[in-house]
Amino acid sequence: MKTRFHILAPLVLAALAAAGTAQAQVGQAGRLLASNCFQCHGTNGKGPGFDTLAGKSASEIYKDLKEFQSGKEGNGIMAKHAMGYTDAQLQALAAWLATQR
Amino acid sequence: MDRRIFLSSAAAGLVGSALTACGGGGSEPALDLAGSPRRRPGTTTTVVTPPVTPKSRVIVIGGGMGGATVAKYLRLWGDAISVTLVERMPTYTSNIMSSMVLTGQRSMSSLSFNYDTLRSKYGITTVFGEVVAIDPVAVKVTLADGTVLAADRIVMAPGISFDTVPGLGSSNKMPHAWQAGPQTSLLASQLAALPSRGVVVLSIPKTPYRCPPGPYERACVVADWLKKNRVGSKVFVLDANPGITAEANAFTNAFNVVHKGVIDYRPGVTINSIDATNMTLNTSLGNLQANVINAIPKHKAGKVVTNNALANVDGRWAGVDVLTYQSTVAPGIHIIGDASATTQPKAGHIANQEAKICADAIVRLLAGRSPDPSPVTNSACYSPITSDSASWLTAIFAYDPVSRTMQPVPGASGEAAGRSQDNYEEMFKWFNTLMEDSFA
Repeated sequence: MKTRFHILAPLVLAALAAAGTAQAQVGQAGRLLASNCFQCHGTNGKGPGFDTLAGKSASEIYKDLKEFQSGKEGNGIMAKHAMGYTDAQLQALAAWLATQR
Repeated sequence: MDRRIFLSSAAAGLVGSALTACGGGGSEPALDLAGSPRRRPGTTTTVVTPPVTPKSRVIVIGGGMGGATVAKYLRLWGDAISVTLVERMPTYTSNIMSSMVLTGQRSMSSLSFNYDTLRSKYGITTVFGEVVAIDPVAVKVTLADGTVLAADRIVMAPGISFDTVPGLGSSNKMPHAWQAGPQTSLLASQLAALPSRGVVVLSIPKTPYRCPPGPYERACVVADWLKKNRVGSKVFVLDANPGITAEANAFTNAFNVVHKGVIDYRPGVTINSIDATNMTLNTSLGNLQANVINAIPKHKAGKVVTNNALANVDGRWAGVDVLTYQSTVAPGIHIIGDASATTQPKAGHIANQEAKICADAIVRLLAGRSPDPSPVTNSACYSPITSDSASWLTAIFAYDPVSRTMQPVPGASGEAAGRSQDNYEEMFKWFNTLMEDSFA
């Protein structure tokens, strides 16, 4: 996992930079990915439900998801769930959720 | 709801215009909503009022988990899309949690959800009626009362229907209770009348059926209740499938340990015929007589799909492109949820996510853009094993461009390590939040 992340990281950054010109599309992709969270964390991550995601920064959400992926947070639903997304997808959904206040 | 008020406000304008529109290409009559604040672009306001001048129209048929969610998200994400939700019933009864009605742990009314918030908060128009015809080319829907609705696109979310059971006819003696409603109450009353040392049979159809862990969960919930309330009773689980189809570890443990001696699980069983009068099933294991028989028949898509030549997969299910959920035989029609043939489980949580992908795709298509090329869906659910413990199951599916199907992401699917009271408590939070994301 760790190796894969290091290899992917530069690509992700490049992709995010390139996407700056087409932010609307990237935002919409992040929104659709983030909508996978809404069933348990409320529409737009605003609760009520499990932990409220709105109001958190992108880096905070991304870090939490990586910790779930690593198994450090036990073997609950989120440990499985966080495995379902590529690093670029985690970045995109975290960036979108960070726009929700 | 007050139908007169409903018809005299926004709905009247929409239905009236729909009657004269042809495929959504006609002029756009303004809806009279003087004084209503417009949604600010790029923000999610508390109330998403209907567009003063709709740019496009979508009709959603079926107000279950998929239909309610797609209607809501079309309004949240769309650019001045007017949304009309057509549904038979004024309220939706949740299938999720409905097995707990059988044991008195939940009431039917606690599973009832109405469309008030979809109307008031998202500006969705509701029409309660029966669809009798669909014109996939002109994109029109005809209702039983003669009303014709026209739109740019139709989303169908009709859920499931059942094969008829030979020998059962219209008898109520062996309810499936697999669409929550009167059959749930009926099965609950039959269980309540069960004597001590009674025999209950639950039969599971071949896959694909709605809610893969659901029948096993029901067996557990009923067994747990029998142990406390009808001592000496048994539940025979007759599975048409070769083995447990979901949460195999949890249910194997439940059948062999937790509910040992109460649940008798038999895989690979064929039911040859039924004798409703004598409450007897003739099966590949021999004849079985029972006090209560919960026979869940084989499924197919809801009748509005099969009646309109949209069930092009095995004659039972609607083939769809999972990037957009467009029917593979009628591109103006999108079909989501249990009625569609996909590699994803037939379940409310996944229908909710399919609805969001469909809404996003429609918004893009109406703007002349391509759908998202790499959608992801997720499914999560909790299954009660006893009256105070539950298990869970989760899966994530990502689009595979080679097979053009949604495929499970390796390592992202699995079940709980074991049943627990924490899971049981989380189950209610999951249910409440899922229903709110779909209906409110």
